[in-house]
Amino acid sequence: MAGTVQAPFVVLDEEYTIVEVGPSAEGGFGPLAGQNLWACFPGSASLFRPYYDKAWRTGEPQEFVQFYRGYVTRVQAETQGDRLKVSWKELHTIDALTVTTLSESLARTIELIEDEQADVLRQEVRASLRLIRGEA
Amino acid sequence: MTSAPLARPDPPTASELYVVLDSDDRLSYVSVGLQDELGGWVGHVLWDHLPGAREIYGPGFEEARSTGQAVERVVFYAGRAKRLTAIPAPDGLAVHIERIAALDVRTLGTLAQSLARIAEALGAREPAQPDLPARASLRALP
Repeated sequence: MAGTVQAPFVVLDEEYTIVEVGPSAEGGFGPLAGQNLWACFPGSASLFRPYYDKAWRTGEPQEFVQFYRGYVTRVQAETQGDRLKVSWKELHTIDALTVTTLSESLARTIELIEDEQADVLRQEVRASLRLIRGEA
Repeated sequence: MTSAPLARPDPPTASELYVVLDSDDRLSYVSVGLQDELGGWVGHVLWDHLPGAREIYGPGFEEARSTGQAVERVVFYAGRAKRLTAIPAPDGLAVHIERIAALDVRTLGTLAQSLARIAEALGAREPAQPDLPARASLRALP
């Protein structure tokens, strides 16, 4: 459809090799085609793979919000035969320019992060923020 | 065959990270340790390259100039907590930089840990007076 911007996506095989890169993701992922996803993005497997594995296992599309490398992203993972299509939308980027922008940015990040693990981290982040802002 | 590990140079120390500003906050000198980051800014007004930094760095610089004394402050800017020591001298204001802690945004876990380190660094905002005689040369941003 004219004027519609397609969400960035990559297609993975069962070994998590990047086999296809969508046009909007070419800038970041294009050079990575043929490589293993987890090797390209160190530390990301524990954050993303459980959702992808569940998509493989159940055949049900998975949607979640995750934080990685300063970005809060809404991710969708959907099996297509023997491939997994992963698309995403960036919801927020950490702004660490000043204490003020960082505080606002972290508050937004905390709002967006939803899972249980994030509850503990939310508290840690809030405690540190109070100290940084001199509120403790 | 295994290759020998590459020798890495030690990271620059605080005494190697400094700039000198003229009275208009133009960079007149950038130390070797900061050449890659700031070398191209010589002759430029610092604030033109660091949005929002004037409100954070500027008061300490002005205090150093107005009192003639070294002023040391721990500040947060561009993802890092750093200790800045501004030392007035006849040929300008030397600003030494000691990078204390950086925000690590790889995961929420590293973010929380690094925030704690930054909070700790910013909590220790009352440093000992700098050793002025030992800092005779113009040295002490990113």
